[in-house]
Amino acid sequence: MYQYTDFDRRFVHARAAQYRDQLERHLAGTLGTDEFRALRLQNGWYIQRHAPMLRVAVPYGELSSRQLRQLARIAREYDRQPDGPFAGQGGYGHFTTRQNLQYNWIPLVDSATVMDLLAEVDMHGIQTSGNCIRNITSDAFVGIAPDEIVDARPYAEVLRQWSTLHPEFAHLPRKFKIAISGAKEDRAAIGWHDIGLQLKKNAAGEVGFQVFVGGGMGRTPIPGVEINAFVPWHHILVYIEAIVRCYNLAGRRDNLYKARIKILVKAEGQKFFDAVNEEYQRILAGDPAGHEQIIPQAELDRVAACFVDPVGVKAAAAVQLDTSDPAFARWLQRNVHGHRLSGYRAVTLSLKRIGIAPGDTSADVMDTAAALADQFSHGELRVTHRQNLVLPWVREADLPALFQAARAAGFATPNAGLLTDQIACPGGDFCALANARSLPLAAEIAERYQDLDELEDLGEIDLHISGCINSCGHHHSGHIGVLGVDKDGTEWYQLTLGGGDGTKLAGGTVAGKVIGPSFAADEIADAIDAVIETYTRERLAGEHFIDAVKRLGLDPFKTAANAVRVSTAKA
Amino acid sequence: MKFINATTCPWKHAIGEDGPKPDPDPAPNRLLSLEQWHAVRAHWPQDVPAAIEFPNDADINQLAPDLPRIALVVLDFPKWTDGRAYSQAHLLRIRHQFKGAIRARGEVLVDMMQLLARTGFDEVVMRGDQSQAAAQKALDLFAPVGFYQGDVDETRPWFLRRSAA
Repeated sequence: MYQYTDFDRRFVHARAAQYRDQLERHLAGTLGTDEFRALRLQNGWYIQRHAPMLRVAVPYGELSSRQLRQLARIAREYDRQPDGPFAGQGGYGHFTTRQNLQYNWIPLVDSATVMDLLAEVDMHGIQTSGNCIRNITSDAFVGIAPDEIVDARPYAEVLRQWSTLHPEFAHLPRKFKIAISGAKEDRAAIGWHDIGLQLKKNAAGEVGFQVFVGGGMGRTPIPGVEINAFVPWHHILVYIEAIVRCYNLAGRRDNLYKARIKILVKAEGQKFFDAVNEEYQRILAGDPAGHEQIIPQAELDRVAACFVDPVGVKAAAAVQLDTSDPAFARWLQRNVHGHRLSGYRAVTLSLKRIGIAPGDTSADVMDTAAALADQFSHGELRVTHRQNLVLPWVREADLPALFQAARAAGFATPNAGLLTDQIACPGGDFCALANARSLPLAAEIAERYQDLDELEDLGEIDLHISGCINSCGHHHSGHIGVLGVDKDGTEWYQLTLGGGDGTKLAGGTVAGKVIGPSFAADEIADAIDAVIETYTRERLAGEHFIDAVKRLGLDPFKTAANAVRVSTAKA
Repeated sequence: MKFINATTCPWKHAIGEDGPKPDPDPAPNRLLSLEQWHAVRAHWPQDVPAAIEFPNDADINQLAPDLPRIALVVLDFPKWTDGRAYSQAHLLRIRHQFKGAIRARGEVLVDMMQLLARTGFDEVVMRGDQSQAAAQKALDLFAPVGFYQGDVDETRPWFLRRSAA
């Protein structure tokens, strides 16, 4: 993991002190509500339906057990409603699709203290919200995946530092998200980001970035397009500076829904690309300080030295495991993943459990996960974009013991990648933006699909649920996507099929297609059932759900889903 | 950072009886709109420095040939969360090496001070209700620590400063 230097540490403490000053001015009445809003947003504080929400940055998803214990402490001691209609609520965090952690119940008066507690463990909420460059995300298996071309972590960290409190880019037209993948398989959904970075090696073996720009979900889902096939790695800060500057100056500010870079890219196309590439050349060739933005090899080496394998980890002989216990065998098949080092595996700790919202994790469960990380994974964890945790450094020989411990702690549901490993935003239960609740539907699906044999038989299906068009639940990229909409104060649900998050299975970055008018709240789970039944009836041997959708088209699924309509059935 | 009081500031708009003069005569301390500047730039003497109010949706690079004649560029924040002028100021200082003053006007608030200073502003006209003491405090907050990226005063990012130290 990245090791904070004295400078990094003083920096996050200074940021916490700055926030405390702003909070105090706000509470004293000299900093107005609207003005405080844009400031607290850039520290991760967002006012929700019932209480403020705090989004804590987990840079590119890497987390230590020490940090997780502090997050548990914050959940236990501060994520509490002391009184009012929601007295007693809280005590947990919610892992998000962008590898961050959100709290829902921390009173605003405690917010500065929580920032200090985060700074104690080298954490913060800097730029996790607001119209700025957000926390940078990556593949949850970065640095350990067998299909890795280049370890993205050192680059992600250099980018994190560059983007942190960048003075020119603090008030962009809209939020700005960057994702990096260094593997052959895109597990970071880079095509769905404002900037997607794919690490590559050219014929000479030199490292560079294939750069995509203008991807995004929301109201207008658009996959990112390649703006440059190969930017040398040491120029990447300059190249991104060029993109963000062109966007800052030319992006629309007259309409919130047309302010993302994807709209600019779509409107201007090649003209925007030319402007960016010209700006890139002007910084390098013309700006007196341009060459200072080139990353020196020594700096990359310094940061990369933080990402060496933990002490004692080295390739070992593969272990023959006793798989006579079917439950262990199933877990092994589903939740245990390949590793670039022989003798090691990565293990998903599932946060998808009956009765608990996807990604929700209580203080005690965080502590348990931290203990498992200490015992089995050199104290390191990853947050995945599917809202689970991963232990990255598990010895094969330890898998039976880890299985027992994970099962006892409720982390061993063997559903990674299956239907019930669903993604869901907090929805209308918490979020002030949401049009509909997402959690009751997620709960309903978890209830209906408990039979592990059936789940395994259905195979890999990405079910993504968003409570509104802001798409935090990534419904556009789900093989099955559900979008909550509001009509006349009632919750309705739009069903989409055939979306893809960028993986080979899904066929790349694809927005799903809507099948028919919205379903009523009491119809949507049945409609999903009908879609799945259609798949099991029509599929070819070994055919994945997403492939069946592509082969059959939407019609048979639409017909089946329409057949379950009750209140929305046409007279 | 210089805190400017707009009413006592020596730079004055060229206003006639019917509003802004379309083609004002040369005079010291003229504060001109971009349209006025376009009207006078060809025939004004080279040695009468002017101040220009530059809108935040125009291309700042077009001022480059005129910069030796300009003593002050006033950049606009129609809303404080509209950050275009930060890029304009950065380009004036870094790309065009502008040595005159750059002033922020519009909805200019205490908590913008750091961003303004780091992108090259050296004068501000704050909104009336803002406290100069609070603004000074906001400027000083990170001074003992510094920042990751370079900025107009310290162009080297932290990774170059630390290896030089």
